Amino acid sequence: MTPDGTGLLPPCDHTIGCITCGDEAVPMSVLVVEEDGLALCADAEGNSQTVETALVGDVATGERLLVHAGTALARAAA
Amino acid sequence: MRFVDEFRDADLGRVLAAEIVSLVEPGRHLKLMEVCGGHTHSIYKYGIDDLLPENVELVHGPGCPVCVIPMGRVDDGIAIANQPDVIFTCFGDMMRIPGSDGSLLDAKAAGADVRMVYSPLDALRIAKKNPDRTVVFFAIGFETTAPSTALTLKRARADGVTNFLCMCNHVTIVPPLRALLDSPDLRLDGFIGPGHGGRVVGARPFEFIPADYRRPLVVAGFEPLDVLQSIKMILQQIADGRCEVENQYKRVVPYEGNMVALKAMSEVFELRPHFEWRGLGFISQSALKISEAFADFDAELRYEVPGVRVADPKACQCGEVLKGVIKPWECKVFGTACTPERPIGTCMVSPEGACAAYYNFGRYARDRAVV
Repeated sequence: MTPDGTGLLPPCDHTIGCITCGDEAVPMSVLVVEEDGLALCADAEGNSQTVETALVGDVATGERLLVHAGTALARAAA
Repeated sequence: MRFVDEFRDADLGRVLAAEIVSLVEPGRHLKLMEVCGGHTHSIYKYGIDDLLPENVELVHGPGCPVCVIPMGRVDDGIAIANQPDVIFTCFGDMMRIPGSDGSLLDAKAAGADVRMVYSPLDALRIAKKNPDRTVVFFAIGFETTAPSTALTLKRARADGVTNFLCMCNHVTIVPPLRALLDSPDLRLDGFIGPGHGGRVVGARPFEFIPADYRRPLVVAGFEPLDVLQSIKMILQQIADGRCEVENQYKRVVPYEGNMVALKAMSEVFELRPHFEWRGLGFISQSALKISEAFADFDAELRYEVPGVRVADPKACQCGEVLKGVIKPWECKVFGTACTPERPIGTCMVSPEGACAAYYNFGRYARDRAVV
């Protein structure tokens, strides 16, 4: 999988589920607060993703969020 | 890890399992539906059903957003993907859902520019990088995912992006639940309610279940102890003769939902008069389309699509699985002609699909202790 999505379909890991398609949210930590309601976040395995934060309001570096389909749905407990 | 390990504690799990056994009236068979595909996945990943007495049966609901997409919509998506100027984007599992003549992955192999994204925001980024092409995002999902699409379309408008379109297949959870409760095929005693969908809509929309159908619902988290505790709460309600909406997942789900998300959704989407659900048929006002205010972003207005209803393959019994009428292993093609590698039905594609969860975690018919 390349960053712009041009790669072939990655193998689906059936032991962890699909982070986007199931109605599950993934805990991620804020690495960098970007401008315009976005934040670069990383999951426990270090995979990073730019995340929309409009639903949770202002976030701070180090804060943990529950992320679904690139959008933070909630703040995870500290 | 804090706030994860506590919810996977095996000793506490055994305590809860014993409490569940003590709550079940001997000789009474109870059917509880877990609405959300994420719960189905957790139940089989952690072997939660092994901890339950045989007379507490978990029935898998329609809450896997990939599994409920009918073949005709896949065909419509492929028709758009085959347009020469289009970069077609969708979530990974969606690429493998069979249409009447192959999947989006097959269309990609045949030359269509189909790309997997992890979020609508990724699709918008591709649009910004490719101003000469039109980028179409195939949006799927319940209320959990719809705000993400809505916020991205609002962002596209604010950024002046004109080459980004959305083929909207978002669905809403309440109408299919009502359809299931009205179905004569199925007698359910309680519901494990959606966790992260509840984060968006809150617990209030589920109040019709106790009010109109006299069944308890507990909004549940996804860790094993969350699911066990929710089952215990449902059984406690039944034992007490109560039926109400309770919220086990208070650490995430507010009773009233997220107002920012609901407002964004109301700006960008409007209800479709009806929408076809795989296995459930057409259900009134059960899906979202792009609103008139955002019509510029509606791929279905820009491109002509077949729009034909396609019947499911005869051998496939996804419909019965989605309604909880049969268990996945009771389907004629489960694990033989239909596997995650070569799926016939949608339920075998996504890990949240009931068939894939059974297949991947080796769940077949077997005996459990009777209380």
